Amino acid sequence: MRILLLEDDKQLGPWIAGGLREEGHVVDHFEDGKDALMAAMGQEFDLLILDRMVPGLDGLAVLKSLRASKNVTPALFLTALAEVDARVEGFDAGGDDYLTKPFAFVELSARVSALGRRRDGGESEEAAQTVLRHGDLSLDLLSRRCERQGQGIDLMAKEFKLLEYFMRRPGRLVTRTMLLEQVWDMSFDPTTSVVETHISRLRTKIDKPFETALLRTRRGEGYVFGQ
Amino acid sequence: MSLVNRLWDRIKWLRRSSMLRLSLLLSSISAVGFVVAIFVALTLGQNAIERRVDATLTALARAAVLEDAQGDTPSMILRPLDNLRGLPMPFARAVARGGGTIDLDRNLFRSDVWRVLVAHDSNDVPVMVAIPLEESDQARELLASILWTTAGLVIALTLVIGFAAGIVAQRRVVRINETLGRLAAGDLTARTGHQRSKDDLDDVARQLDLTAAELERLVSQTRHLSASIAHDLRTPLARLRAQLEMLPPGDGRGAALEEATRLSGIFDTIMRVARIEAAQGNDGFKTVALDDLAQELMEIFGPVVEDENKQLQIDVTTPAQVQADRQMLVQAMANLIQNALVHGGDQITLLVHGHVLSVSDNGPGVDPTQFKEIIKPMVRLETSRTTDGSGLGLALVRAVADRHGATLKLSQNSPSGLRVTLNFADL
Repeated sequence: MRILLLEDDKQLGPWIAGGLREEGHVVDHFEDGKDALMAAMGQEFDLLILDRMVPGLDGLAVLKSLRASKNVTPALFLTALAEVDARVEGFDAGGDDYLTKPFAFVELSARVSALGRRRDGGESEEAAQTVLRHGDLSLDLLSRRCERQGQGIDLMAKEFKLLEYFMRRPGRLVTRTMLLEQVWDMSFDPTTSVVETHISRLRTKIDKPFETALLRTRRGEGYVFGQ
Repeated sequence: MSLVNRLWDRIKWLRRSSMLRLSLLLSSISAVGFVVAIFVALTLGQNAIERRVDATLTALARAAVLEDAQGDTPSMILRPLDNLRGLPMPFARAVARGGGTIDLDRNLFRSDVWRVLVAHDSNDVPVMVAIPLEESDQARELLASILWTTAGLVIALTLVIGFAAGIVAQRRVVRINETLGRLAAGDLTARTGHQRSKDDLDDVARQLDLTAAELERLVSQTRHLSASIAHDLRTPLARLRAQLEMLPPGDGRGAALEEATRLSGIFDTIMRVARIEAAQGNDGFKTVALDDLAQELMEIFGPVVEDENKQLQIDVTTPAQVQADRQMLVQAMANLIQNALVHGGDQITLLVHGHVLSVSDNGPGVDPTQFKEIIKPMVRLETSRTTDGSGLGLALVRAVADRHGATLKLSQNSPSGLRVTLNFADL
């Protein structure tokens, strides 16, 4: 994807741009709102990543101007303003997603991919699949059955949802924040070890009885599913 | 329909008008006063008339000689006591009583009210004298009707003035009340903007406007400040996180990332408490069924509690529905469950009774003298210093409670432990 990044922080900007480039995106990085607006007016981008508080022109104003000129490029706000009304402002201005600093790079990356998929016309065949498979593990979304090596595994509702989320992202790092938001619909940290408990229960069911573990923990970062 | 509703509202409001209540009270007092005064006046008046008539009758009898003057005329009946034939029975009864006023059921010589007196004629022979009282009675009736009409008019006027004053005052009180309501609901731009008559109500209105303006200024200042703090702290945190993520993988990096996550978690909670406290209105509030909420909490936290070898039970009776921000409630309850999990015993109970939501445990509990202390932000009791936590849990719960107009109460659970109750009934 061709991505416009507006971020004035001398450390964060290059870090984000570098990370996105490593993932194969083409990134145009700007530190000034006016420059970013000029660029977005003149060229086609697949995604805009806009910081809220930048010199020149606020990211919000940049997007408002673009939307006013009928530019519908998906936009992700990246900001230190976490207040609900700041979020609402962002969405009202035509933003498609909102990520609060600080964040793990994978969270940004996941949101970038999600916006890319949306742009390409929905969740494609991946979402339409009714049976997810990974190695000897299969998850039937219709009959709600889980099997590994032909053995049926009983999963509770949340465990099922958790496994489905992992199986749709094999080999990718998934953070606790992402799980809380996507599986539990919580935009806050419940301080309780909800995620850890469910992960450990899921492991007991899908990994413990078998030789190879599918769900691995990356300390301080999150979890990775698959080989 | 809306007109009827508005009228009904107005009437309901009028019942609350102190001005109207006062005028009703004064009207009733004066009505009672009038009734007493008129009754006394009429009785005294009648007595006076009767005394005068009696004096006249006695004089007339004295001046007459029975044989010459006896007879019945429309203006006077004069009879010896033993000859009352032809006269209606009340005359005889009055004579037996020694005189008095009688009310006939038919006219006798065009009058039905007669004053009867037993007197003596010039020869000292006892006689009965009676004269019609029709005229004086008419005068009395006239007097009574004048008095009653005046009283009625005065009372009606008092009521009208009371109602008018009530409505005028009510408009202004309603305006003040509406403004207060809007302020309470979070619209800090609300003002009464109503200063005309320079009276006590205007003083109240003006003070209210000044207070609201000050409140608005303070809130916007706080918001601005919290936005700046958020920016100034989140950016370095983001940098820290970025730098840590760039380090080569390993345990040291993982541990550092964990600390960074914990740090931003605490910061998030501080900001969240501040945000909830500064928030206004009930945007985003939806109807939340408390039994569904309890079920959801059970589903989310039940396994967590179980894994600690403890028990989470729910106790639901006549669950109510409340207007609330569901996420906020879940977060508050999560904090309470977490507290119970860390500091409480092995039994945690989530209770829903009507509008009351509570979390209790059977642990050692908290000394009641410290209840006030522990809901302050960042306060942690000495006994819990060693355990993990930021001391923000209950502060957040309190902020959520305040935000929902619910009361937060800490109490001792029986037989032991702490019970934290959120009561939404006082909305």
